[in-house]
Amino acid sequence: MHKTSEQLIMLVVINVALLVVGAVISGGTFLSLFNFQSMASQVPEIGLLAIGVMLAMCAGNGGIDLSGIALANLSGVLSAVIVSSFLSATDNETAFSLTFMAMTVGIGLVGGVINGLLISKLNITPILCTLGTQMAFMGLAVVVSGGKAVTVGSPDLLSRIGNDMLLGLPIGFLIFAVIAAVIAAVLKFTPYGLWLMLMGTNPKAAVYAGFPRTGILVATYAISGTLSGLAGMIIAARNVNVKYDYGSSYLLIAILVVVMAGVKPEGGYGRVICVVLSAIALQLMSSLLNFGGLSNFVRDFAWGLLLLTFLAVGRYDVAGFLVPFKGQHKSSGPSPQAPKPSN
Amino acid sequence: MKTASKHILIAAATVAALMAGTAGTLMAQQKPVIATVVKISGIPWFDRMNTGVVAYQKANPDVVATQSGPATADAAQQLQIIQDLVAKGVNALAVVPMDPAVIEGTLKRAMDRGIVVVTHEADNQKNTQADVEAFDNADYGTALNARLAECMGNKGKWTTFVGSLGSRTHLQWVGAGEANAKKHPDMQLVDPNNESFDDANATYEKAKEILRKHPDIKGFQTSAGNDVLGVGRAIDEAGLSGKICLVGTGLPNPSADLLESGAITAIGFWDPQKAGMAMNAVAKLLLEKKPVTDGMDLGVEGYSKVTVKKGAGEGMLIVGNGMVLADKATYKQHMF
Repeated sequence: MHKTSEQLIMLVVINVALLVVGAVISGGTFLSLFNFQSMASQVPEIGLLAIGVMLAMCAGNGGIDLSGIALANLSGVLSAVIVSSFLSATDNETAFSLTFMAMTVGIGLVGGVINGLLISKLNITPILCTLGTQMAFMGLAVVVSGGKAVTVGSPDLLSRIGNDMLLGLPIGFLIFAVIAAVIAAVLKFTPYGLWLMLMGTNPKAAVYAGFPRTGILVATYAISGTLSGLAGMIIAARNVNVKYDYGSSYLLIAILVVVMAGVKPEGGYGRVICVVLSAIALQLMSSLLNFGGLSNFVRDFAWGLLLLTFLAVGRYDVAGFLVPFKGQHKSSGPSPQAPKPSN
Repeated sequence: MKTASKHILIAAATVAALMAGTAGTLMAQQKPVIATVVKISGIPWFDRMNTGVVAYQKANPDVVATQSGPATADAAQQLQIIQDLVAKGVNALAVVPMDPAVIEGTLKRAMDRGIVVVTHEADNQKNTQADVEAFDNADYGTALNARLAECMGNKGKWTTFVGSLGSRTHLQWVGAGEANAKKHPDMQLVDPNNESFDDANATYEKAKEILRKHPDIKGFQTSAGNDVLGVGRAIDEAGLSGKICLVGTGLPNPSADLLESGAITAIGFWDPQKAGMAMNAVAKLLLEKKPVTDGMDLGVEGYSKVTVKKGAGEGMLIVGNGMVLADKATYKQHMF
């Protein structure tokens, strides 16, 4: 419990610190409503993918989902090609939007179920399985689109999701927030959530305890896939066009977000709220550096620094180590030779 | 618990201070800001463009000209940069799109907010006020072929390479080249439109095949940036430097050795430095609400008499005469 709240507090503090630095650097414009809306509209894509990776990681046994962004692009590309073959984005705006949205999420779900079945039934290591499906999804998207960008168009409903605000917040961000809340609730209050974490902690014990291993794994990867489908829908809504290689850098960023959020790579522990805050922190930092007009290579450096800081804080009582003289409880701090584990 | 959070606070403050240190560039917001966004930063082509932006800034102290770009070749990363710049409130964007289709929506939102949008290398971009192209694609293809024909003495077998059959500009270049070659009845086109996929090694293998199949071939016209290197190496290794003519798109620095040995007759390119300056010049004109007219001088070498046409969308297409053909004698003037 102690460690959990520590990670959460750290993330909140980092976010606040980034906002303060941003305000100082930009002379205030960083804190403008428009910039908040702009940054909020950028978070959902990576945030949804990161929650998917978190779930896969929590399942333990080296769980990870590398196919996220490829599946998101596939769902966007495939839906765009199929739906526009029988519906026109300009004539039947609402019908087009609804069909398109349903189809992106549906394709995401199917892709996720395929991952889950391969991992649970054929016992393929998740990292290899999702690496394979990632390439398969991307390849399929290339074949379907011929390697070119596919125009979705901006039918009324869909373009609102990508561009409009509700209560001053971008609709895409609201969708992300609601989904995150739902998944957090599922993890906390349903048997599935308990099973997932326990199975991640000790897969062998879980099997002997009679947990529905296949069901849990398929459900986990199916949720992850569905989130990818949603990400694909939001990408299409924002950008008007979809392409197979969009966001190729998201794969590693999603994992970075998850690790920064304190999700245990060996499984069994992870909190949605931390993932959301961690995604927001990365967004704040990259926007901050763009505001400061700095090279994007500095951004990579800063992300790496942030990640290392988090890992260090999670593993050792670095905070105490940094301020050996100001610390009020001497006992917890000044012992550089043997850093004390934080819990 | 209380001490822990206090310590965390201090640790976080340290991180924040570190970042504030790296992000120390403060911006003067009084002058109009023209932000150039390139496909990817840190590669020679766009480093060269940056020298143009820097030069433009020096010559025009009444604006702030900056260049940025993603660290990885990903359209999504470029999109984020553009979006952040829009939120920051720059006055003009000069974008070299990684993928014109992906950024259409964001550019539209930028223009809705009153930001001037100029693009380059994207004559199919719809949401832009002006797309600046270095040259007319047909003119470029014709010029390459004219140089080739001159070297071949207007006769003999020749062939063409394109990056891929889906590459629109490359097909325009070789198409114009073929049209030009028709003026010389003794020039015979064999096995045209070989795909190189911009891979110097694959092009080298392909060129060796062609040299075996047509031992009497006299000329190559290539399109993608690495093609001259592959074909040039094949010619060089066959000991045919100077006997076979090779004209194509390439950059001076990588091509230097093969130009010296005579394996490459001439390379054609446009200077990204000048393109960067031209984009900024157009952006400044649009910011000052001045018209860009046909035949206008942008004050940049190679863009002294631009052609203005209607673009793919509402905006205009500005075509310069910035093509450069360089051979052994002249390539040293453009080392990049």
